Amino acid sequence: MSISVKLDRVLLDRGMSLTELSERVGVTIANLSILKTGKAKAIRFSTLEAICKELDCQPGDILFFDEEGA
Amino acid sequence: MRAIGKGSLASILAMGLHVTRIILLIALFGLGAAIILMPFVPFIIDIFRDSEDVRISGGADLSDFIEVTHGFVSIAVMLFVVNRLLEILKTLRFGSPFVRENAERFRSVGYALLIGEGAKFAFGFLSIIFDADVSINSSMITWIAIVAVFVLAEVFHEGARMKEEQDLTV
Repeated sequence: MSISVKLDRVLLDRGMSLTELSERVGVTIANLSILKTGKAKAIRFSTLEAICKELDCQPGDILFFDEEGA
Repeated sequence: MRAIGKGSLASILAMGLHVTRIILLIALFGLGAAIILMPFVPFIIDIFRDSEDVRISGGADLSDFIEVTHGFVSIAVMLFVVNRLLEILKTLRFGSPFVRENAERFRSVGYALLIGEGAKFAFGFLSIIFDADVSINSSMITWIAIVAVFVLAEVFHEGARMKEEQDLTV
């Protein structure tokens, strides 16, 4: 897929674990793992909003468009 | 009525299909044995001819063979369809029915019904030549049912795709 997810990088910058983020945004670790590993086919605006709110970032900090993968 | 679980329509259907499956299996083995034994009928008659306790009239000719083989093929197709339907019901009872395998199962049911109808015409044609008693008539409702099964297969294929997407939506 041409959209890549850099959630692990943002988490590392904020010093937050996936478990902690899961508890804060109310999304299961399994679903966050799907997102982190790039297996997700879609992301809800509500999930993106909650992640951005907790990580104090913009959607563009998490999602990237990779032209080579398009 | 509940969709799944004890007393649901799915479990009643499964029970009915299991009983049908057993009946069809017995019929299939019986007809299979008849097909195998049919060439030996003259020898069997010869064996019992001298016996005073057994009276045998008639024999088995090609028209009988066509009728029995037609019955065997029809029951084999029915058994195949019943087995696929049982597998589909199993996925309904033990999880989600919207999986790609069920789309394939519905498609195979459609092809099996097509083969069954084709066999009916083939045996009907043979029955005209060899004067057997096989009906060649095919009803419109059967063909609509076959098309409906293929439509259902496509619906399940799309349903499975949507389910996969839903499962991978965070």
